[in-house]
Amino acid sequence: MPRLKSLEELQQLRERVQSEIKARTSASTIITVGMGTCGISAGAREVMYAILAELERLKIDAQVTTTGCIGMCSKEPLVDIQQGNQPRVTYGNVTPAMVPRLIEEHLVRGNVVSEWVVGRATG
Amino acid sequence: MSERHRADVLVCTCPACTKAGAQALLEALREELTRRELTEEISIVETGSRGFCYMGPIVVVQPEGILYTGVQAADVPELVEETLVKGRIVERLTYKEPSTHRAVPYYKDIPFYGKQMRVVLRNCGVINPQSIEEYIAVGGYQALGKVLTTMTPEQVIEEVKRSGLRGRGGAGFPTGRKWELTRKSPGEVKYVIANGDEGDPGAYMDRALLEGDPHSVIEGMIIGAYAIGAHEGFIYVRDEYPLAVKNVQRAIEQAREYGLLGKDILGSGFDFDIKVVRGAGAFVCGEETALIASLEGRAGNPRPRPPFPAQKGLWGKPTNINNVKSWANIPVIINRGADWFRQIGTETSKGTMIFSLVGKVQNTGLVEVPMGITLRELIYEIGGGGKNGKRVKAVQTGGPSGGCIPSALFDLQVDYETLKQAGSIMGSGGMIVMDEDTCMVDVARYFLDFLKDESCGKCTPCREGIRRMLEILNRIRDGQGEMEDLVELETLAQVVKDTSLCGLGQTAPNPVLTTLRYFRDEYEAHILRKKCPAGVCLPLVRAKCTNACPAGVDIPTYVALIARGRYAEALEVHRRRNPFALVCGRVCPAFCEAECRRGELDQPIAIRQVKRFMADHELKVPWTPPRADKRYPEKVAVIGSGPAGLTAALRLAQKGYPVTVFEALPVAGGMLAVGIPEYRLPRDILQVEIDNIKRAGVEIQLNKALGRDFTLDDLLTRQGYKAVILAIGAHKSRRLGIPGEDLPGVYPGTTFLRDIALGKAPDLKEKRVVVVGGGDVAIDAVRSSWRLGASEVHLVYRRTRTEMPARKDEVEAAEKEGVHFHFLLNPTRVLGTDRVTGIEMQRQELGEFDTSGRRRPVPIPGSEFVMEADVLIAAIGQEPDLFWLDGTGIEARRDGTLVTGPGYSTTRTGVFAAGDAVLGPSTVVQAIGQGNEVADAVDHYLRTGKVEEVAVRPGYEVVKQIFDMEQYYKAVRPATRELPVEARRGNFNEVELCFDERTAQEECKRCLRCDLEWLEDTGLEAVPVPDRVLVIETAGQKE
Repeated sequence: MPRLKSLEELQQLRERVQSEIKARTSASTIITVGMGTCGISAGAREVMYAILAELERLKIDAQVTTTGCIGMCSKEPLVDIQQGNQPRVTYGNVTPAMVPRLIEEHLVRGNVVSEWVVGRATG
Repeated sequence: MSERHRADVLVCTCPACTKAGAQALLEALREELTRRELTEEISIVETGSRGFCYMGPIVVVQPEGILYTGVQAADVPELVEETLVKGRIVERLTYKEPSTHRAVPYYKDIPFYGKQMRVVLRNCGVINPQSIEEYIAVGGYQALGKVLTTMTPEQVIEEVKRSGLRGRGGAGFPTGRKWELTRKSPGEVKYVIANGDEGDPGAYMDRALLEGDPHSVIEGMIIGAYAIGAHEGFIYVRDEYPLAVKNVQRAIEQAREYGLLGKDILGSGFDFDIKVVRGAGAFVCGEETALIASLEGRAGNPRPRPPFPAQKGLWGKPTNINNVKSWANIPVIINRGADWFRQIGTETSKGTMIFSLVGKVQNTGLVEVPMGITLRELIYEIGGGGKNGKRVKAVQTGGPSGGCIPSALFDLQVDYETLKQAGSIMGSGGMIVMDEDTCMVDVARYFLDFLKDESCGKCTPCREGIRRMLEILNRIRDGQGEMEDLVELETLAQVVKDTSLCGLGQTAPNPVLTTLRYFRDEYEAHILRKKCPAGVCLPLVRAKCTNACPAGVDIPTYVALIARGRYAEALEVHRRRNPFALVCGRVCPAFCEAECRRGELDQPIAIRQVKRFMADHELKVPWTPPRADKRYPEKVAVIGSGPAGLTAALRLAQKGYPVTVFEALPVAGGMLAVGIPEYRLPRDILQVEIDNIKRAGVEIQLNKALGRDFTLDDLLTRQGYKAVILAIGAHKSRRLGIPGEDLPGVYPGTTFLRDIALGKAPDLKEKRVVVVGGGDVAIDAVRSSWRLGASEVHLVYRRTRTEMPARKDEVEAAEKEGVHFHFLLNPTRVLGTDRVTGIEMQRQELGEFDTSGRRRPVPIPGSEFVMEADVLIAAIGQEPDLFWLDGTGIEARRDGTLVTGPGYSTTRTGVFAAGDAVLGPSTVVQAIGQGNEVADAVDHYLRTGKVEEVAVRPGYEVVKQIFDMEQYYKAVRPATRELPVEARRGNFNEVELCFDERTAQEECKRCLRCDLEWLEDTGLEAVPVPDRVLVIETAGQKE
């Protein structure tokens, strides 16, 4: 990484990473697992492994990333699914056992699993 | 993306896309590119699925990252022409959100987020905290850039001062002023520190922030260092937060790589770097001077201030120390300006505050709210109210240094000043919600126990004072406390508060002082009545069921006896505290079942129904209550023959007093006879238990009403009664207070039920009946109306079904019987000329939460409409009928209940009161409990002349466990058997049917026998004899 030598360089970097992130998200599926301590203690790590395994099994090339605590700790592990720049849809209290159905319904069939969904981020 | 090509067209050939026509699409694409001679510039790549398989075939055009779905071969010419040649997006092929997604609510529409305002936590749970690029993409380090290139240090300090930001660690010192002090302190070398030593039990705001958005803290620190003139900074974070340590360290490294930390930041010439220091987890290190000592490598002990760290801090140099949340506010203040920040919050407290909302609340989690939000909004709207529908009693803010605020004060606006006035503090943001199952003595004890270990021991008041306070609280928990202990506790608390060296000691008494201030009754219950109302303090709680029973019935014992088929003995145990087993087996709301520990596993024991089986089984065996050998001469009069009056009369007769009960109505039993309909409680069943009481020598005089047939003076002077117990109940229905209420066809709920009981039921055949109210009387009225042949029965309630105070199973039964429910309606006028023809109703909506934790109904103007009705029954509440009150010397409250002092005494000597007359409308078992207790108080008065609180610890027995509990691990609670709905119309036959013997016995074996575990845990000696075991304390032992 180059050292930033001025505010202008910082702004250029910002624009570059913004467009990179946009290109990355607009054409793919991003699955974000809440991996703050609250998430991990509720089993987020196991959920993430289950997601990776299921994506591998179905040969789906979705990106899996992590984030911190969004506040709804009683609903951890939280899993967000974002597709093509649409608002991320958040599922709560996800367990590894729920992952195959989640991927099958949401990614393969395109349906929200309404009984597990918590909400979606604003556009 | 390939280097050689101007663009790549990625075509998904996963099975789903192939099935949807991906091969034909590829074919067409190749042809089109060849035809247009674009194969050199543009490549076609076959890829796997990206998770949009339901919309295949999927095409992605790189480098732009355009996603097309459902692309068919026929779309290819347009796609190539528009996107690949002209660089335009083909709108109709872009990804559309599936319709099922659109039904999902946005975060802002979820109550949990509705009232939140995420400023400090703006990125937490949104960005990847391990990626500085994601932080930069959402505007990170822009504030730093602005400060370094356009602002002087003085301007930065001015901006922070103007914002009104105050320290988020809890003390609330203005941040800008602190910066200014440090800047102005003489010296070349200065430091900044982020305090992330978070130690309040149940609080984790700092952890979440450091884990989820470490760069916001770092950016704030760089800006602060620039303003103050520091070149070195420290983040002090607990070692037990490994993820926070890791994410912060990684963030610092990334910032260094981009030159955002280190020499010559952003070419400005300003140097600054940060080190992470891991604390060993001592609570006192959250105190700034102790934290600095710890940073220096010394023991984490505080020292007296002044000098303040701003003057003499780390290694004797001026040091600015702020909480991590304060630091994370800084970039936002710089970016959006002090003016924007100032408009959030209250006069003295600006911006937002993060709370970790935990404890007995539905939605636990981290919330960020504008300062000035009320506790009610926080707990009910964001938190969703009490867990499992329990009533929230208090909230503890500020951790061990904070205080407990009772629900009556939930309208307080949360800011530094109001919380302090209420005896608590803002603190770092811990917020623990407590419900009726939380014991406030235990809460105070818990925090002191924590602080006892965390006190560093440097100063005596804190080290010794906390220990002494804890000893007193332990005594109270064990049932060994005395009232003088409370005085001593308050004295000690005041001394520790006034004389401790640092904040830990100075605030340590807060939980004790606030619980004493707001929950003194709970302390008194532990001390005087040896009872822990919440059922928490182990030595006082033999089993949660018994503890929850207002009459204190020894439930584990009689349940265990039923399990062994020994019904007569079981009933004997029951009758020691409650002579109405037949009645309560039918109508008790079973407070015991709500607390039953088996209920935490699956379903609570069906205690009420096994009780009914036991009582029904012994129905034919007449009971003559045992009486003491001694006979006292003092005559006692009991006014009212309801459950409170009859129980009191029975107990006094058993103790050897001559007792007369005066009943205004032609039948005995009070509400049991004229309130509860026969389909729930048959009269012959009730009569059996009244006859039992008569057998103890109690005389019942019917048709004798106080104020009509005699006066209190008659009893106390002319007739020579030495004590009178007023157990007159609450038989008067509240009026609706609307025009037309006195038209024929309008009945007060209690009058309606009484008329039915006395054989004077109104003719409801083919009538349309509307009942107003949501309580048990309203349900009794609708179910009775239906039985009397009404053509239609409607229940109208001003709130919603969830807020109805009536028993849930009763509401469901009414529904099954075809009653129509209308919610959010309130009558405004009764229509008709010579009798009721209709009711004008006004629609309501739910507004703010009220003190009961329920949303208040608010009328919707102009929403009125007419509901046709032939009969209107008003069942909106009852109160004691006090027409006789004037000149008696008895005082009543505004709600019509009688004023009572210690030992159930009224305002007139020799006159006592119990039951609904004191409590307002309540339950049979509460009345029975009061009947027991008023009898003890009257006995005490007659024997000693003193009117005071009398505590009786009932004795108990131990029934051995003889079957294998493991076998009942999977047993389930049996269903209730009922008369079919078709068989109920037109009669008042009992609806609920009794368990059979086997069902009752098996159900009793599901009991977890908390009483045996308690013996083990408390170490009390029980000497088991083969069959029935010994009495450990004799029944009726006085304290």
